[in-house]
Amino acid sequence: MYDWIITNKELLKIFYGLVLALVCLIIVLKTHKLFKLSLHQGIRYFRNAFFFYCLAFLSRYILGALNYYGYLADYSFLTKVLFEFFLVMGGFFLLYSLLWKKIEPFGADYDSSLFNAKILLFYFMTFIIVALDYLWVSYNFMIISQIIIFLSATAISYLNYARNGSRHQFLKFYFIAILLSLIAWILNSSLQYFDWSRGILINVYILNIIFFLLFLYGVIKLSSN
Amino acid sequence: MAKKRERLEVIKDILRVVRESRSIKPTRLLYSSNLSPQMFKEYVNELLKKGFIKMNDEGDNKKTFSITNKGNEFLQQYKVIETFVENFGL
Repeated sequence: MYDWIITNKELLKIFYGLVLALVCLIIVLKTHKLFKLSLHQGIRYFRNAFFFYCLAFLSRYILGALNYYGYLADYSFLTKVLFEFFLVMGGFFLLYSLLWKKIEPFGADYDSSLFNAKILLFYFMTFIIVALDYLWVSYNFMIISQIIIFLSATAISYLNYARNGSRHQFLKFYFIAILLSLIAWILNSSLQYFDWSRGILINVYILNIIFFLLFLYGVIKLSSN
Repeated sequence: MAKKRERLEVIKDILRVVRESRSIKPTRLLYSSNLSPQMFKEYVNELLKKGFIKMNDEGDNKKTFSITNKGNEFLQQYKVIETFVENFGL
């Protein structure tokens, strides 16, 4: 099984990108009606997070497929920059969807939640992270930023679960999903510093799939009557 | 002590009062909402901005609020929206 995975890893990566892009797209589409009805800022940022995750995995899928069939000259540069940019933006929005109530003044409204003065800060920080990784030829800045983001999100989602977990069952799954993602990022970072078996990367992929499937499950279960 | 109402719950309460009254004066709505005048103003502005209620000018400086289709739809789906928001901690 392991050998088969290693032999077909490029094809599997393409497939992985496609599956996660579709999962994120379904999450964005399934929450469209709820957002349109409520115009709730939290739902808005939550959707933005999965919109960016969708772009990240879609770019990975398209560029991976083009590279696989030999149509792309500089695969690593394009994938690194685009994938990393969209992924980091997704992380910022996911964390912000948990924090916005404590930050935004009541009734604050913006014409666009993707382009406004506040969100410009996310773009700026993401740009810096991507640029530093590009200059240092590494993924370290992205990984560190994601560990910080998911560590904060883990703490917030645990508090939410501790406070309201008995009344709202999905808060437990939310916390588990975020914790799994944090573990995946920590495993990812360990690959940069320790010469562990590359097989550990498979675990990272599996944890990521569980993370997105848990969110998909929650969205499908809770967004319908 | 009564639990502090969440924003979404306050919006639902205001909309319910407006819907039940069909047309309601701002002062009466303020009393029914159990909010401070400042908070009431902020909520009403938000509801007007979101298009959940509309203000009717009935002449002689007599202004009333009534619910819109969008506001009605929000109330119908309120439980789903509330469940979603609270389960995701949004």
